[in-house]
Amino acid sequence: MSQLKRRDILKMGAMGAAAAGLGFPGILRAQQKEVVMLGIWPNTGAFSDVGPILDRGMRMALEERDMKILGRPIKYVTRDSATQAGAATRRVEEAVDGEGAKFVVGPWSSGVALAVSEVAKRKKVLHIFSGGTEDISGSRCHRYSFQWAASPYTAAKTVVDAFMKANPKAKRWHLLVADYAFGWSVEKYIKEVGKTHGIEFVGADRHPLGEREFSNYVQKAAANRPDVVAMINFGLDAVSGAREIFNFGLTPKIPLIMCWSSGVEELVQLTPEIRQNIWVGSNFYYTADTPVAKAFVKSYRAKFGNPPGYAPSAAYGMTRLLLAGFDKAKSAEVQDVIQALEGIEVNDLVGRMRVDPRTHQTLRPFFFMRCKPKSAMQHETDFADIIATGDEPLPAQYAACKDIGGF
Amino acid sequence: MSLLAGQILNGIATGMLYALMGLGLSLITGILNIPNFAHGALFAVGAYLLASAAVAIGNFWIALLVAPLGVALLGLVIEYAGIRRLYAAGHDYQLLFTFGLALILSEAIILIWGPVGYSYLPPQALRGGLDLGFTFYPKYRLFVMVMAGLLVLATWLFLEKTRYGAIMRAGIENKEMVSLLGIDIHKLFTVAFALGAYLAGIAGALTVPIRGVNPGMGVDMLGIAFVVVALGGLGNLLGAIAAGLLIGVAQALVAGYWTEASTVVIYAVMAAVLLVRPQGMFGIR
Repeated sequence: MSQLKRRDILKMGAMGAAAAGLGFPGILRAQQKEVVMLGIWPNTGAFSDVGPILDRGMRMALEERDMKILGRPIKYVTRDSATQAGAATRRVEEAVDGEGAKFVVGPWSSGVALAVSEVAKRKKVLHIFSGGTEDISGSRCHRYSFQWAASPYTAAKTVVDAFMKANPKAKRWHLLVADYAFGWSVEKYIKEVGKTHGIEFVGADRHPLGEREFSNYVQKAAANRPDVVAMINFGLDAVSGAREIFNFGLTPKIPLIMCWSSGVEELVQLTPEIRQNIWVGSNFYYTADTPVAKAFVKSYRAKFGNPPGYAPSAAYGMTRLLLAGFDKAKSAEVQDVIQALEGIEVNDLVGRMRVDPRTHQTLRPFFFMRCKPKSAMQHETDFADIIATGDEPLPAQYAACKDIGGF
Repeated sequence: MSLLAGQILNGIATGMLYALMGLGLSLITGILNIPNFAHGALFAVGAYLLASAAVAIGNFWIALLVAPLGVALLGLVIEYAGIRRLYAAGHDYQLLFTFGLALILSEAIILIWGPVGYSYLPPQALRGGLDLGFTFYPKYRLFVMVMAGLLVLATWLFLEKTRYGAIMRAGIENKEMVSLLGIDIHKLFTVAFALGAYLAGIAGALTVPIRGVNPGMGVDMLGIAFVVVALGGLGNLLGAIAAGLLIGVAQALVAGYWTEASTVVIYAVMAAVLLVRPQGMFGIR
């Protein structure tokens, strides 16, 4: 083995210097090219059961692209929203400042999302959310936030029209409404659309988020002798409410409508007996007849065994829409992607979708299902049939987003 | 009028469950002098054990017998293998231990039974409702009311009318004195913890056909149990029963007429009582 000579050492030193001058900045450039995306999901607190499956959906959409966009690697980071506005905003700010996140997907609660939306506006990062508040694309709209879920009006119109078509005599409705941004928005339009059908709202009770004792609400509903009970709540609230409505003997005698449900995630927590005569509105149901939905459901089932509900599908759909914005913009700059998303048209998870450039509301179908009796279920997760879809956008007279503003 | 009567029935049914929880927590807190943060988790374990046993055995009644005994056994192990070793270390360590234990049990529930909850229907004989003349009321809720009432009564009789109950009450009043009388105070602690755990377990088990099971159910109940103990008076068993019923009925009545405040009322009642009587309704310390 030859000994190192002085000249060799000098050569190695020169090569090292070259590497330091050229190679290291090269690494730096690669790091700058990385596109950082944040999934802000509820891993603790209310909706903590949904956080991990939201993460699944976003991860699947990114993995379809091999964690790359426009030839640049995607760095996917997550933070716990804890379903608390304070914790969520603090963590989003930290991820934007510390990790360089420029694209924020989530969280899951409307109230928390409105707070995160303000952070997105201040930090000038793109924010996309799926939920029931109309304010993201309404009175608190701005250039940096987008709404993936159907407008509460589209949902209400689909649910009320389809239900009344099947049950034209069911005109006395009692409402059970979650007392926060999402519940108020959907309630408003259920009542507006209800007027056109001559529906009489014999009662409307609001309950706190996280209510577990529904016996008192159900007794009040029963005392009003309604033809229908319609719930505008979500997750465990909806499950607890549906269970008590059955225990008090209202269902299956009278129908129960879950106006804005997560679908699979809620229905799986109820027994077939409880699900009898339940009608369900949702932003996604796994039997949706679109090529993207079919491929996604197949892939999700292969990975996790059960079909996806609204939560993982929304995370998947939002991320796909975001990535379509990059493709259209041919740029990973926040403002370029925002401009590309404004007016974008795709045929994706739920069918034809278009982002309204004036409000950042996605115009898209909403699904309405009827639960199957036990005898008609083909398999354990064969909960319901899609009986209608609707995509009627919010009429101009209700639009609260007058000016989306500049950057 | 029938609505009001129905709401009061609801209040008594849930109030009885709160009383069972509060009674168990009050016993543990009174004798061991530590707030048991794992009490909610024990409630959840009772619920999950019932649901699993009922499905496995195919009989709700046997499951209702077995599940709370399982929780009592767990309580016995927790006291014997955990809390007992920390008596010398002081209250802070015991408190942290129960807090950590609550987290471990909650995560264990997710690991064993999964993150998604499910429903379990009442046994066939208790499905449907009864027409009480003034209101139609689910049979299972009536059963819970009677069963929880009997359990509360049995616990109270045990503590008031038996010799061992008298020793327990004496332990709450003055542990040193009981110990000086030659009574094995450690055994007393173990029995008290196991009994408290049993009451949490049976409250959880009875809840299943009404509320189903989900991993967060223990956390939901823990806050209410602490309110019941604070409201009734620390370590006061009669106070826990009265406070449980008061909270249940107040919640039901408020939910009937001012639904948005149905959760807040629990804490408002506590704040109002503690402002007037800082030691709780029946408490002396």
